[in-house]
Amino acid sequence: MDNIKRKRERLEMIFDILNIIRNHQNSIKPTPLLRQSNLSSQSFTEYLNELLEKDFIKEVTDENEKKFLTLTDKGFKYLDKYKLILGFIEEFEL
Amino acid sequence: MPPYHLIEPAKLFVELSYTLIVVFLCFRIFYKTKEIYDLTKYEGVKYFRITFLFFGLAFLFRFLSVFVMLMGLTFDLDISMYLFRIFPLVFNSYFSTMAILSLTYSMIWKELQLKHMLIVSNAIAVIISGIAFLSRSHILIIGAQAMLLIFTIITAIYIYSKSKKISQIFILYVLFILFWIVNLLTLGPQRFVPFEIQTVFQMISIAVIGIIYLKVSKWTI
Repeated sequence: MDNIKRKRERLEMIFDILNIIRNHQNSIKPTPLLRQSNLSSQSFTEYLNELLEKDFIKEVTDENEKKFLTLTDKGFKYLDKYKLILGFIEEFEL
Repeated sequence: MPPYHLIEPAKLFVELSYTLIVVFLCFRIFYKTKEIYDLTKYEGVKYFRITFLFFGLAFLFRFLSVFVMLMGLTFDLDISMYLFRIFPLVFNSYFSTMAILSLTYSMIWKELQLKHMLIVSNAIAVIISGIAFLSRSHILIIGAQAMLLIFTIITAIYIYSKSKKISQIFILYVLFILFWIVNLLTLGPQRFVPFEIQTVFQMISIAVIGIIYLKVSKWTI
């Protein structure tokens, strides 16, 4: 099962991670996000770093010094445009 | 008394209108796909959109070549060979070669995954435009680009043979490149294609890029 998940398209994987965050009122700790994304720890770290680097998500720390992940405007835009992005790629067979 | 060789207003009007429409559509496609690329950094989208940037620039330089040719004929000007005739041809061949290679790669990048595709395509485009500069001949450019077109068709057929179908979008791409090559014929010292036939080709090529533009618009609201 994990093998199948790993083979998922990168764009779909990014959508899934962002969608999990959105579905948790835009605030989730890294550990439950890792669990729900069904990725290996290594793949998850790679995706997380990419999403932070590309400004799709950001880390926030609450008053108890606990870290949460939230979506940025760019992350929300990606989720909104996801179907159009996939449609475009399929239409032009890119 | 008017000059002996007059610019034919109809030809200039057709060339100008054709160039403006095609360049506008090419640049619009490049602009409209910016957001999708910014969000995804997807290789296929990258090469798809730069294809239309390069085609737009190639059509601009093509018009410049045609315009200079018509001006020279009309006013019997001794137009500087290098400045006004060779350079539009060189830029024209560079940008159009880049466009054809980018379009081809946008279709096959998943199979090839070349790390330095931009460097490779730039090298090929520089060689072809270098040939254009040294030979001052558009015929060699047409030959080189026709070979690239054949390469594109063979590659695409090989890839699509796995899915057992030739897609509609592939046919549109081939037609667009084919019409581009036909358009290059107008840059020669003699007209290989009569003006009326060429105008029909130009109208069909506008229809082809118009369809591509509408398809892009559908997903880039």
